[in-house]
Amino acid sequence: MPPRLDDLNLLSFIVARVNVGIFVVDQQMNVVLWNRFMEVHSGRPATEVEGSNLFDVFPELPKSWLEKKIKSVFLLKNFAFTSWEQRPYLFRFQDNRPVTGGADAMRQNCTFLPVNDGQGDMQYVCITLFDVTDTSVYQTKLQEAMTSLEEVSQRDGLTGIYNRRHLEHHLSHEFNCWRRYGGELSFLLFDIDHFKKVNDVHGHLAGDEVLREVAANVKLEAALLRTTDIAGRYGGEEFGIILPGTPLEGALIVAERLRTMVAAAPVRLRDVEIPVTISIGVAQADTSMPDYVRLIHDADKALYASKTQGRNRVTCYTSSPRE
Amino acid sequence: MTIPVLVVDDSALSRKLVIKALPQEWDIEVTQAINGEEALTAYRAGKGHVMFLDLTMPEMDGFQVLETLKEEGANAFIIVISADIQPQAQERVKQLGAVAFIKKPLQGDEIRRILTQFGML
Amino acid sequence: MSIAPYTADQRDALQEVVNIAMGQGGSSLAVLLDTFVALSVPRIRIVESSAIAETVAQMVGDNTEITAVRQGFFSYLRGEAIVIYGQEGCHDLADLMGYDANPDAAIDQELLLDVSNLLVGACMTGIAKQLGADIGFSAPSILAERCPVYNLFKAAKLNWTHALLVEISFSLEEKGFTAHLVMLMPEESIMTMRDALDRFLESL
Repeated sequence: MPPRLDDLNLLSFIVARVNVGIFVVDQQMNVVLWNRFMEVHSGRPATEVEGSNLFDVFPELPKSWLEKKIKSVFLLKNFAFTSWEQRPYLFRFQDNRPVTGGADAMRQNCTFLPVNDGQGDMQYVCITLFDVTDTSVYQTKLQEAMTSLEEVSQRDGLTGIYNRRHLEHHLSHEFNCWRRYGGELSFLLFDIDHFKKVNDVHGHLAGDEVLREVAANVKLEAALLRTTDIAGRYGGEEFGIILPGTPLEGALIVAERLRTMVAAAPVRLRDVEIPVTISIGVAQADTSMPDYVRLIHDADKALYASKTQGRNRVTCYTSSPRE
Repeated sequence: MTIPVLVVDDSALSRKLVIKALPQEWDIEVTQAINGEEALTAYRAGKGHVMFLDLTMPEMDGFQVLETLKEEGANAFIIVISADIQPQAQERVKQLGAVAFIKKPLQGDEIRRILTQFGML
Repeated sequence: MSIAPYTADQRDALQEVVNIAMGQGGSSLAVLLDTFVALSVPRIRIVESSAIAETVAQMVGDNTEITAVRQGFFSYLRGEAIVIYGQEGCHDLADLMGYDANPDAAIDQELLLDVSNLLVGACMTGIAKQLGADIGFSAPSILAERCPVYNLFKAAKLNWTHALLVEISFSLEEKGFTAHLVMLMPEESIMTMRDALDRFLESL
């Protein structure tokens, strides 16, 4: 005859053998049920644990917290949960990945269920404990992947400095801060002179090398600046540097230093030496600007003036750009 | 003498259930109000010697009704019927002059029990 | 799919059922925090998925930075509850629960999950009980931390067009603490709820 589902033997068999930790405590924190999963992982047989106070048998448990948790279930007659993400484990059990590793102990999700005695009184709390080590290992890996992906998506693949998206994002943030808190904010936009010719004469690989070298100079310059300053590749052969807390005069000094540095160090490529110069436009945020885009626009106008006035120079934006 | 009874609740269903639970033999005239403002107007028009009052209502809630009536020195017989079953809510309405607190959902003849207890029947 | 709105009777019944459930949630919170919880009238409506972000932003306050916890519930009513906390309220929680000012973010999260679980559990169990349903819950998890409220549903892939939205707010008088409990049940539950409300009305 097949077993009936309300057969108590069958139910106790399932509770005993299911691959989930199940134990039950009363209001005095005495254990009244301890299933096989708990026996196996704790190394303490039910005969030893049942009838004893949970905290006497397992003094290593976080008593004040756990007691509070269980009592709140009795008091509020509501189930409760714990997640490995906040509390890696309740009991320090060995995990199921002794070889492939990734965790120092079994990660556990726990559920605390009030057990009604039928008269509306809560006599017991049943605690179930799920092994979620695998989930936690995957999630940790995923998080690492996400972090590096985010890092990659902020950086320009060729030069390794920030890309346009990140640069603009940052400029927008700085612009809003400046508008809210006042102070000074300048933006510097520059571009490599006759870059197209470098590509045409020496090839794209040489062009890439020039971009990398200039980016390295920008990084060097950025390192001289305060850490809040941020430099990035704006696109093509164009670069931008955000200078928070810097008035126009200060931005001019930075720009001039950068220009000299680049001009003094031609890019060496096997047996050729490629002279590189840059044209720079500088602009400062002012209250008439509706948003950060206007700041870029002004720097771009100044940059254009540098180009038309012979290149390898710095221009700062005024309502009519002048050197 | 017919007693003017005021049932205040924003829920039509809830008012219906309260009215249904009032003792059959009780000689009353029932007026309904759907928020605190209406309740005060009805009370001031003499329509609320006995008042069944909900707490959570839009416009003006039950606590505000109780406060206003207390300030005005009104002497209505007020029973609060509310889903807000916090012990502090129950204490607070009693301090504000309600004679009794009944938890929602209404159970059996809770209303009759309280009316009898205060000799209203 | 077009959704027929609830009748006046059904709406009224649902409003009252939610009212009572809210009372139970408020009472549990009051016991847990040992303080008086101010309740307001719950808001119930049917929303389209395209309008959900805006609707919730309006409820909570447009430019608010929030932290939110989600939790699934299932029975013949299937949906998700989201508890949304204003940023200041969040910080008060540890204090209210009688913990020392704790620098540990995991502990703060745990408190948040505990309180959310309590509110969702008490309210949804309250609703289900009145409608004669048994209900189960998933574990709560953090949905968003310190994010602008209108970004709350940005990452979510909404594969429903209409949902029943029930909003309950809890606030503590002296503290800046507010929690908005938003329960969302997609299409099929709107129908199921309609039948359950009819049965509930008949039983009265």
